Amino acid sequence: MNGLGRILLVEDDPNDVDLTLTALEEYNLANEVVTVRDGAEALDYLYMRGAYGSRPRENPAVLLLDLKLPKVDGLEVLQQIRSDEKLKFIPVVVLTSSREERDMVASYALGVNAYVVKPVDFHEFVNAIRELGVFWAVINEPPPGSVGRRR
Amino acid sequence: MSSAEPSPGVPVEPGGVSPGATPINVRALRPYGLALLAVATAVGIALAAELAGFEKLELPLLLMAIGAAVWYGGPQSGIAAIVGATLSIAYFFARPKYSLHIDRPDLGYFAIFILFALFIGSFAARRRRVEDDLRRARAELEARHVSLLDITHDTIVLRDVDGSISYWNRGAEELYGWTSKEAVNLVTHRLLQTVFPVPLEIINEELLRTSRWEGELTHTRRDGTQIVVSSRWSLQRDAAGQPLMVMETNNDITERKRGEDDIRRLNAQLEQRGRELEASNKDLEAFAYSVSHDLRAPLRHVAGYSELLQKTAFSVLDERGRRYVASLHEAAKKMGTLIDDLLAFSRIGRAETRTTLVSLGDVVREVLRETERETEGRDIQWKIGTLPSVHGDRSMLKLALSNLVANALKFTRPRPRAEIEIGSSDDANGDVVVFVRDNGVGFDMKYVNKLFGVFQRLHSVESFEGTGIGLATVQRVVARHGGRVWAESVVDGGATFYFSAPKP
Repeated sequence: MNGLGRILLVEDDPNDVDLTLTALEEYNLANEVVTVRDGAEALDYLYMRGAYGSRPRENPAVLLLDLKLPKVDGLEVLQQIRSDEKLKFIPVVVLTSSREERDMVASYALGVNAYVVKPVDFHEFVNAIRELGVFWAVINEPPPGSVGRRR
Repeated sequence: MSSAEPSPGVPVEPGGVSPGATPINVRALRPYGLALLAVATAVGIALAAELAGFEKLELPLLLMAIGAAVWYGGPQSGIAAIVGATLSIAYFFARPKYSLHIDRPDLGYFAIFILFALFIGSFAARRRRVEDDLRRARAELEARHVSLLDITHDTIVLRDVDGSISYWNRGAEELYGWTSKEAVNLVTHRLLQTVFPVPLEIINEELLRTSRWEGELTHTRRDGTQIVVSSRWSLQRDAAGQPLMVMETNNDITERKRGEDDIRRLNAQLEQRGRELEASNKDLEAFAYSVSHDLRAPLRHVAGYSELLQKTAFSVLDERGRRYVASLHEAAKKMGTLIDDLLAFSRIGRAETRTTLVSLGDVVREVLRETERETEGRDIQWKIGTLPSVHGDRSMLKLALSNLVANALKFTRPRPRAEIEIGSSDDANGDVVVFVRDNGVGFDMKYVNKLFGVFQRLHSVESFEGTGIGLATVQRVVARHGGRVWAESVVDGGATFYFSAPKP
């Protein structure tokens, strides 16, 4: 759990975690993923609290954030990140089942970098995850203080 | 006003008796009788005084008698009195006594007496006439005034500052049930059990300060029912500025108050209903939200794992196994579409409409552009008539029209040449009617009532795909715009879908 993660996946559904990791595996990105299961754990990771007290200091290169989460929901996590000097530059991608307009509006209002509705079709899902992973963890130049690319 | 009957309060003209009640001859003789009485009394007193040793009283006494006769009996009575007085002096008091003979030296005295008497008499008569005129004018004025106050339906009460009633008009009699006779001299707020909005002292203070007061009072009528009146008080002052009386006009506003109460109650009910509706809308929204989140997730998983299974176990699965997995995959995908359509449908009911003037012609052109890719390679003859503009939510109206066009395209697919017509007309109610007509497979009018229900389908999925939400969506959109939707068709003979919308 204390691994050096370029991608922080915040997802409570084990199936979604499984499928997301499967999709990322194809680009050998699965090893870069740290998975947390709710918003509170995500904040613990980001603030290096509790079980994540001894993790490397760098921020993840991207946060894949589900909205409907136990304890602290995705929008709250997003708000917390954006209002913190040390965290606010972390690219955050909302990855959700919901096509609800108000979720989208609220996410953008809080400064999300991308909003992706998980497609029902697995091919589309795999493509979406792969592209996200590749773009944010490989192509995109993350802000200073993030986990660098492994050469 | 001239024909108004004199009210009972008008004083009877002095000297006259009510007409018709007395025979005419008695009335005519009355002035003379009066003159005779006056002169006889004066002569009697003078003679009695003479016997008692008081001389020369006859002259002033008789002049007084003439004056009295003129005053009370009029000019005729005065002339009669002068004649009587002259004869009386000649007979009783001038020498030779007890004879009507007048000595020559006394003629001048008599002439002067008669002149003087005439003088007094004419003055008295004139004074009398002026006074009569004044009295008559006053009576007339009073009559007019009183009847004016009486013809209004407003309640008018004159009273002093402490409430003691001096005048009570017909409106008050009708409203409260007490007659003027009963009410006069009683105290208003005790008689009417007035409920004041603020203590009476404060009202009176304001009345004395500003000379007026207005407000709502609750009064109890003679029959015990309570009424609410709008009351206006105005204070009249005398020349010295002292409070003289208060004119109080009261209007019965019980009905109006009741109406206002009704409106308030209905408003409260409406608000309550609104809140309930809002709550149920919130519930619906929460439901849709959780459907959107939670129902799609397991579907994705079914689709995902069936796909993975197909990939990883391809070599182990036989033909049947692969077909099962493929079906699993298809079913999950279809349910995903269904959920999306259903959510879109429920959004129509929940979403706020943004009403503008929408050109349906523009919307149709936009819809047709978007279907171009889908219709590539098909022979379709479009016939687009002029379409009106309506007030409505553009995106919703577009959703409805694109559903109708998509239906027309779908059900004309078996035709070698599809004919689709979109046009409009006015209906009898003055609404705009838009129609979409096709030469497709049509439907049996037997099932027309099922056409617009959610998940209702009249064709098998094999022949025509679809979730059965399209026409339900159309109906919902049209209903939200205050119109209605209907359809006509013949099996295998095409179908026409209509919707109406209020004219802008």
